[in-house]
Amino acid sequence: MSALETWLTIILLTVATILTRSSFFLLGHAVKLPPKVQHALRYAPAAALAAIVAPDLALVDGALQLSWTNPKLLAGVGAAAFFLTTRHLLGTIIVGMALYSLLRVML
Amino acid sequence: MSNTQASTAHETAVDLEKRAYREGMKAGAPTMPGIFAWGMVTGMAMVKSGLTIWQALGMSFLVFAGSAQLASLPLMAADAPVWVVFLTALVVNLRFVIFAAAIAPHFAHLPWYKRMWHGYFNADITMALFPRRFPDSTVHKTEGKVGFFNGICYSNWWAWQGGSVIGILLASQIPESWGIGFAGTLALLAITIPLTVNSAALVGVVVASVVAIAAASLPYRLGLLLAVIVGMTAAMAVDTYLDKKEKA
Repeated sequence: MSALETWLTIILLTVATILTRSSFFLLGHAVKLPPKVQHALRYAPAAALAAIVAPDLALVDGALQLSWTNPKLLAGVGAAAFFLTTRHLLGTIIVGMALYSLLRVML
Repeated sequence: MSNTQASTAHETAVDLEKRAYREGMKAGAPTMPGIFAWGMVTGMAMVKSGLTIWQALGMSFLVFAGSAQLASLPLMAADAPVWVVFLTALVVNLRFVIFAAAIAPHFAHLPWYKRMWHGYFNADITMALFPRRFPDSTVHKTEGKVGFFNGICYSNWWAWQGGSVIGILLASQIPESWGIGFAGTLALLAITIPLTVNSAALVGVVVASVVAIAAASLPYRLGLLLAVIVGMTAAMAVDTYLDKKEKA
């Protein structure tokens, strides 16, 4: 990306923040969200985040590697297990990075 | 006489908001190390993915949305079209629309520019803490809300931006071999889990993951948007099926 495109992207991302965060603060009571739409608004970000995380965990140099020798996959599974039991963000990052570093040395 | 009374009443209201502000800060305090670390990880990821220090600082202080920033970085590094990056960030941010719908009624008495300002700061942590202190039944009261809200939001902002700036400045000191960019993926993983609220969301997550992996080589990183659309459709299909089953 050129410097200009990068700044344009940063401005557009700022617009994305304001559009979503301030949405109902500005609309007020004018619009009510039906339950179906509320569900969709939760499913979409979960799907999007998974679609970013999954390839980073499962692909090694563009090739699928679902095996015990893939340190990112194992560290990701370990970090997810840690977060599920503790709900602790900082701990999850530390445990995941520790596992990742350790596995890269060992495998 | 009435003057003194009015000024005393004013002082009490100010005291009340100040107390509420401190209460908000206290409520948010246990989460701040995590927010700081997440900011730091994002700061490092921005520089490591090729942004200049000024671009990274600009992104941090303007965009102020960790998950959307982390989601955009690999796309920007891969020279994806600007609209693909924008759409991806918008989808990742959609959860804030529900947060806004839940919190905004509490601030309906304020002028639009104040509501917009508060909305900008309404992040994951406020959604977790504010409704616990002010449930729906308190929607028509105003006392203490702005104070409590700001107490959470401004400590969140400081922790996030502090971590981010340190991450941006440290990034060049950290060797590439540490693979610190992976910490960004771990943070996103931790954000995804609480969003997976039911089996429909889980199906969406699994389907989106599989499609994203299978379509990773599509040009312009379009595999990501394809994965979101297919994952969403799958989640909504399961949602509808569960609804019907419940009614039957």
